[in-house]
Amino acid sequence: MKRQSAPVTGRDGTAAVAAVDLVKVYGTGDTAVRALDGVTVGFERGRFTAIMGPSGSGKSTLMHCLAGLDTATSGQVLLGGTDLTSQPDRVLTKARRERIGFVFQSFNLLPQLTAAANITLPLDLAGRKPDTVFLDRLIGTLGLAGRLGHLPSELSGGQQQRVALARALVSRPEVVFADEPTGNLDSRSGAEVLALLRDSARDLGQTIVMVTHDPGAAAYADRVVLLADGRPAGEIHQPDIASVAEALQNLAASR
Amino acid sequence: MSVLLRTQLAGVGRRPARLLLTGLAVLVASFVVYATVLAQQITERSVLNGLSGTPEATGVVVQNGDIRAADLAAVTALPGVAEAVTRTEAYVRTPGGELIVATDPGSGPLSTVTVSSGRYPQAPGEIAVTPRTVERMDLRAGTTVTVTTEEGGTQTLTVVGVVQPLEDIGLLAYSGLGTVQKLSPAGAQLNRIDVRLAGDGTGSGVPQEISKIFAGREGAPEIATGAETRLSEARAAADEIDQLFLVVRVFVAIAVIAAGLIAASTFRIVFAQRMRQLALLRAVGAGRGALARALAAEGALTGLVAGLTGVLAALALGHLIPPALSAAGIELSSPGLPLTQAALTVLLAVVITVIAVLAPAFSAARVAPLEALRSAAATGAKPGIGVLRTVTGLLFAAAAAGLAALVWNNLPGPDEDYTMAETMMLGVVASGGLAFVALIALGPVLVRPVLAVAGWPLRRLGPVGRLAIGGVGGSTRRAAAVSVVVALGVTLVTGVLVGGDSIRVLANREAVAAAPADFELRGPGGAALPAGLADTVRKNPDVTRVATYRWAGEATVGSLTGSAVTDVPMAQVPRLAGLDTESGSVTDLAPGKAVLSRIVADVDGLDVGDRVTVGLGGRQIQLAVAAVLGGEAPLHTGVLLDPADLTALGLPAAPTGLLADAAKSGEDGRTAALRSLRSVTAGQPDLAVTVLADQYDQITDALSVLLAVALALIGLTVLIAVVGVGATTALSVVERSRESGLLRAVGMSRSGLHTMLTTESALYGVIGAVLGVLLGVPYAWLAVSAIGLNAPLTLPGGQLLAVFVVLVALTALAGVLPARRAARVSPVAALSTD
Repeated sequence: MKRQSAPVTGRDGTAAVAAVDLVKVYGTGDTAVRALDGVTVGFERGRFTAIMGPSGSGKSTLMHCLAGLDTATSGQVLLGGTDLTSQPDRVLTKARRERIGFVFQSFNLLPQLTAAANITLPLDLAGRKPDTVFLDRLIGTLGLAGRLGHLPSELSGGQQQRVALARALVSRPEVVFADEPTGNLDSRSGAEVLALLRDSARDLGQTIVMVTHDPGAAAYADRVVLLADGRPAGEIHQPDIASVAEALQNLAASR
Repeated sequence: MSVLLRTQLAGVGRRPARLLLTGLAVLVASFVVYATVLAQQITERSVLNGLSGTPEATGVVVQNGDIRAADLAAVTALPGVAEAVTRTEAYVRTPGGELIVATDPGSGPLSTVTVSSGRYPQAPGEIAVTPRTVERMDLRAGTTVTVTTEEGGTQTLTVVGVVQPLEDIGLLAYSGLGTVQKLSPAGAQLNRIDVRLAGDGTGSGVPQEISKIFAGREGAPEIATGAETRLSEARAAADEIDQLFLVVRVFVAIAVIAAGLIAASTFRIVFAQRMRQLALLRAVGAGRGALARALAAEGALTGLVAGLTGVLAALALGHLIPPALSAAGIELSSPGLPLTQAALTVLLAVVITVIAVLAPAFSAARVAPLEALRSAAATGAKPGIGVLRTVTGLLFAAAAAGLAALVWNNLPGPDEDYTMAETMMLGVVASGGLAFVALIALGPVLVRPVLAVAGWPLRRLGPVGRLAIGGVGGSTRRAAAVSVVVALGVTLVTGVLVGGDSIRVLANREAVAAAPADFELRGPGGAALPAGLADTVRKNPDVTRVATYRWAGEATVGSLTGSAVTDVPMAQVPRLAGLDTESGSVTDLAPGKAVLSRIVADVDGLDVGDRVTVGLGGRQIQLAVAAVLGGEAPLHTGVLLDPADLTALGLPAAPTGLLADAAKSGEDGRTAALRSLRSVTAGQPDLAVTVLADQYDQITDALSVLLAVALALIGLTVLIAVVGVGATTALSVVERSRESGLLRAVGMSRSGLHTMLTTESALYGVIGAVLGVLLGVPYAWLAVSAIGLNAPLTLPGGQLLAVFVVLVALTALAGVLPARRAARVSPVAALSTD
């Protein structure tokens, strides 16, 4: 529970994904907004990291850039040593398909596909067969065995988010990005999903990066990276609710 | 302005594309409705102008009675009469054959001719001739010709110009009344007087005044309005005129329904989005009444603007097309300015839009606001349909089937006197309308089976194809909403194609039977041709394919008496190969066999292989039926026999007539052949040469008018389908941008997404086209049968396949632009769309 400045990691092999001096500007001229103002941060392999910060701190923008959903204005995004920033859309698409998984706040399942088809969607797009042993284990762990034939509209919110989680994990990506994954869930379902995220990092060695503004959710992570006004504002290792809440309060007070 | 209305308008400002698409549907609907009204006017005017000899400006026609030259002056002097001209003619003989000299004012709205060279006759003794007359009788401008009048006197006429008449029969000249009267027998009466009325020509009481002039005279002429005369003349020229107008009016009705359907199906997709927003307004305390008023105001405004734009666009198009086609050689009349229909169309647009914007408000009011907010994203994903909807759909389907069965059971027999065409067609249209309501209700259930078959090859194409099928099959409601629009378009196009093909076969059948060759030369009533005449004709280089035949009236066939019989040699008259047979084959004709016209066969219920007794002048022979024709046998006869059998019936071997074709094609070849034939028959006034080719041309001309009408109707239906699909596809892509974003986020490439969305649109097209053809062909057959023309039921497979392919390609194309847009949006932006 000590605070320290973020280490510049990236090419040393321990970081699954890293941002180096990342800048993202929306708009031009007088209306320009610097959402990211020179962020350098690394996310270690096999660990569950939470990105936190007040509204408008740039945490979602950082995640979108790290995930290749959005392109940065300057700086680098290194995914396993590959620089994503200057890549064409074709390469980004391939990276998203094969090396990155997503979990969204609003689940974002395709309404016309069954749970099973939603889970294997990234593999289908890549033209790959799922590893059935791994898939069965995943489905068992996530408690989805009896729900595979259902459409998303026939599932509860927690079940939908678990399907989304299975979809993110099934291709064993280098990084899973989760954007406020519990924002639309009741506290019990939320706790289940967070525990599953923590367990997949711990048991499967899955790298997970989660954006959240809920100290309770961040307390499940191995490490919390704090962001304020588009810049890194410290980090917390082995966080608990109290330490995260205190850090957020300090951030708010210092502005 | 109320807060609510302002909120609505602000929403419009934020998402103008959505309103534009909604408005576009109404715009297209009003455009189609009004364009169809104008198309009806263009068609009816063009057909009347083409088939009637009376100019449109004619207000009153006086004819069929004792009309004297002095009456013309009396009618002209009546108040309210702007102009009165007479139409009468004199028959004279020239060295080149008989010539008709008719009267015409030569210019002005009542003239039926246009001067193409030289000038119109003014002085006595001057005439203008038609182009065909110039060719056939060698009467060029500037020449003089000596003519013999009916009373035997001779006069000299000067040709001063060439004029184009409505119909060029090739022995026609025009002049003023003075010249014509000098050529006519003394005291000859006038045929008719055409009167143009002053002002707008209504309610002037002129017909009453005219009837006073003729009061008390024995054989007083008939007095009718110009419109009545035009219609009855057109009826006389073509029996099908009423049916044609009926078809066009039925089409107007269908187009109105179609336009309503497009608008409805577009709105259905907008509903979900709207409902969410309205539920939010309700949740923060907006009253139901205030909400409805605000929406109604917005809808009325949108409807008014869209309706007016649509009507104006249709009006502009309607007045641009005839001049444009005229440049291409097709003569169509301009439509008028039907203001009542225009106002009704705009009103329809306003009502449709108001209903459309109010409907989601009422839906939103029914569900709990929070529920509406939550479920909005999932609308369209529910696969089945409710019990109420199923029952409604089945009821409508049953009603449609019942009505169709009723029409089917009352179909007319082949030559039954049939007066119910209008009622029956209404029945067909009503049944079709009901079937479409059933299709709308049951559509979501029908999507999957069609998709299972049609989508099979796509599944092999990898994940993008499978996803496209999943996308369409997963939201069957949306798929059904889009496909119904395509189905409607395909049904209409199929109907026009199948109907048009039937009429084409019918017309071709009439043309071949009536005019198997270019020329016919025969004596009166079956008299034999002079010996050696046929050989003389054969030696002539201007004619070819000379075939002699025998003809006899008053034959008995089974129980039918007074039928004409001929032995036209099929092998020597190539055009006869096009004869349309109901059953059997014309080439089977041999000694001991007969080919019967449909009417003759139907009298005794004869079919191929049956035996029939043919009698002539007391002799009888037994023959087997080789074929039954769809219409008449050649040369307006009832029975076609082998020459040996005609001889067995006691007919002399000498031919009674001959058929010949011109050796060279074109008008020149025809003229040369006609002159040769006339020279052969010179001095034998009993022998008549008929230019059958002119009859053939007339029938094919009438057909091309019908074809132009059909093409215009097809154009409109394709427009309906394409715009409807374009709007619905665009909306569907707009509504699903979130899904697109997700697919991009989990690794679908830009081109993959593009392909998937385009494939989905194409699949909508496939489903719609399958349903459309399945509905369109049976209904077209039912309509063709119900109209009572004895037209054959045909299936133009190639054309239907082409329509299928084109419509699917067009729907795919309609999806290309929206798909491109969706694929270009960044995943982050798409995912954050509400």
